[in-house]
Amino acid sequence: MKQSSSGRRLNQLSLPWQILNYLFLSLILLSMFIPFLYVFAVAFSTRQGSMAAGVKLWPDHFSLNGFSTVWQRADLGTAFLNSVSVSVISVLLELFLALMAAYVLVIEQLPFRRFLAGIILVTLTIPGDLTLISVYVLNKQLNLLNSYPGLILNGLVSGFAIMLLKNYFEGVPDALAEAARIDSATEFQIFRLIYLPLSLPGIAAISFLEFISKWNALMLPATIISDARYYTLPLVLKQLTLSSESTSGIDYIAPNARMAAIVISVLPLILLYVLAQSFLIEGLTLGATKG
Amino acid sequence: MLMNTIRRAKKYAFLYIMILPVLLYFVIFSFYPLILGFIQSLQESRLIGQAEFTGLSNYQAVLRDSNFIQALRNSLIIGLGGLGLTLLLAVLLVLGLTEIRQKWFKQSIQTLTFLPFLFSWTVIGSLWIYMLSANGLLNDLLKLAGAQPLVILSNLKAAQPLFIISAAWKNAGYNVVILMAVVSGIDPGLYEAGLMDGASRFRQIQHITLPALRPTLLMLVLLGVTGILRNFDQAYVMQNAAILPGVRTVLLYIFTVGISQFKIGLATAAATIVLLITLGLTLLTSLLIRRIKQRWL
Repeated sequence: MKQSSSGRRLNQLSLPWQILNYLFLSLILLSMFIPFLYVFAVAFSTRQGSMAAGVKLWPDHFSLNGFSTVWQRADLGTAFLNSVSVSVISVLLELFLALMAAYVLVIEQLPFRRFLAGIILVTLTIPGDLTLISVYVLNKQLNLLNSYPGLILNGLVSGFAIMLLKNYFEGVPDALAEAARIDSATEFQIFRLIYLPLSLPGIAAISFLEFISKWNALMLPATIISDARYYTLPLVLKQLTLSSESTSGIDYIAPNARMAAIVISVLPLILLYVLAQSFLIEGLTLGATKG
Repeated sequence: MLMNTIRRAKKYAFLYIMILPVLLYFVIFSFYPLILGFIQSLQESRLIGQAEFTGLSNYQAVLRDSNFIQALRNSLIIGLGGLGLTLLLAVLLVLGLTEIRQKWFKQSIQTLTFLPFLFSWTVIGSLWIYMLSANGLLNDLLKLAGAQPLVILSNLKAAQPLFIISAAWKNAGYNVVILMAVVSGIDPGLYEAGLMDGASRFRQIQHITLPALRPTLLMLVLLGVTGILRNFDQAYVMQNAAILPGVRTVLLYIFTVGISQFKIGLATAAATIVLLITLGLTLLTSLLIRRIKQRWL
C-alpha cells in the first residue's frame, strides 16, 4: 500500500508546479480562444455595434449585416467562388497526376525508376518561392497572368505529395500486383483496383493537406493576379486589412464586415478540420517523420 | 545489355506515359524558372529589345543596396527568433499537456493551438492587426482598465517582437502535434522503471521525456532553418510604412524590386544570393545536427 501511494505521488508534479502548469495552459488557451471569439462576436454584430467603443466579446444584436456588406461591397462572393473552384480543381488535378507518378515510382522492376524518383526528389530542394520573379516571367511567357489556368497551374503538383503517396503505396503488398499482372491485368487496372482502394486513407490525408495549402496560397496569386476578377480570398482579405489603416476613406468598410470576411475564409477549414481531424493529423505526422 | 534494358523499358511504356505529365510539370514550373532566374540575374533587364549580359553587376548592385542587407538581417532575426520561440512554446505545451488528466482540457488546448496553423497569414495577420489596432480588443481592454492605449502596429521597436510572437502563436500547434506523437510513443516501461528507482516526475521528464523528444526536435530545427529566409506571407500582410525597415524580409524585397519596380535582373540576383545562403544554412545546420547527434545521442 505504502509503495503504491508514494508511487502515485512520484507520478505527478508537486502541487506548486501543477498550479503553475494549469496557469500556463489556461493562459495559452485564453490567448487562442479570445481572438477567435472576438472575430466571431464582431462578425455577427450590427454595423453600429461593431464600431461602438468597449470590449466586444459577444454580438450586440445578432446580425448578418457584416456578411451581406462584405459579400456585395468587397465582392467577396466572386473571391469565394474563385477560391473554392481553384482549390477544388487543383486538388483533383494534382491528385490525378501525383497518384499516377507515385504508382510508377513503386514498381520495382521498372528501368530508370531511381532516376525518375531522383528528379522528383530534387524538386523538393528547390525553394519554389525564391524563384518568384522568374515564375512571373514564365507566366507572362505562357500568357497565364490574370487567368484561372494560371491560378491552377502554379504550384499545382508538389513533389512532397508524390513522395507521401509513394510511401502509402509501398505499404501495399507486392504479391497482389504481381498476381494481377500474371492474370494479365493492365497497369491501369492494377492501379485502380488494387493500389487506389488500399491507400484511400493516405490519399484522403494528402488531399486535405493540399487543399489547405491551396486555399491559403497568397504569394503566387499576389504575383500573377492584378485583375480583381481573379482575386482569391487571401487577396481580398489582404486588401481589406490594408484599407483598414486609412479609416478616413470614403469607402469605409465597418469592422463587422471585415470580421465577416475572416469568418468566411476560415469556415471551410474549420469544417474540414472537424470532419477529417484524424486524417489531417496522420498526414502531418507522416509528412514530418518520413518526408 | 543496353538493348535488353530498352526492350524492358518498352514493355513498361505505359508507365512512362503515366509519369510524363508530372515530369513535364516540374521541368516547366520548377527547373525552368530556376535556370531562367539564374540567366536573368546576369542580364540587364530592358523593356524593349534584347537583354544584354552584364556579368555580375546585378549582384554587386544588390550587395550594395542597404535595403537588401537590412532585409537579410530582418529575415534572420525574425526567422530564427520565430523558430526558437515556436519550438520553446511547443515543448512547454507538450510537457504541460502530458501532465494533464482532464481530457476535455487537454483536447481543447490541442485543438485551439492547432487551428491557427491551418489558417493563412492573411487571416492570422488581419486578426492580429485588428486585435492590436487603436480600436482593437487590446486597447478596448486597456481603456476599460483605465490605462493609456498602446500604439503597437506602427511602432518600429515593437515590430520584430510582434512578428516573432505572432509566428510562434500561429505555428506552435503544428509542432505540438508532431511532438505529442513522439511522447505517446515512449515506452511506458521507462517511466515505471524510473518510478522504481524513486525518480520524481521532474527527473522523469528530464531523463526520459526530453531525451525522447530530442531527435524530432532537431529535425524540426532543420526543417525550420530551410524556411527562415522564405517569410513572405506574414511580412506582406502585417507590414506598414512605419515598420517596414524592421520587417522587410528578403522575399518581400525580391517581390517589391521584381514585381512592383520591375527590376528583374536585380530581383533575380537577390533571389540567387538568398538561394545560396539558404543552401549554406541548411548544410551548416545538418552538419551541426550530425555533430550533436554523435556527441550526445
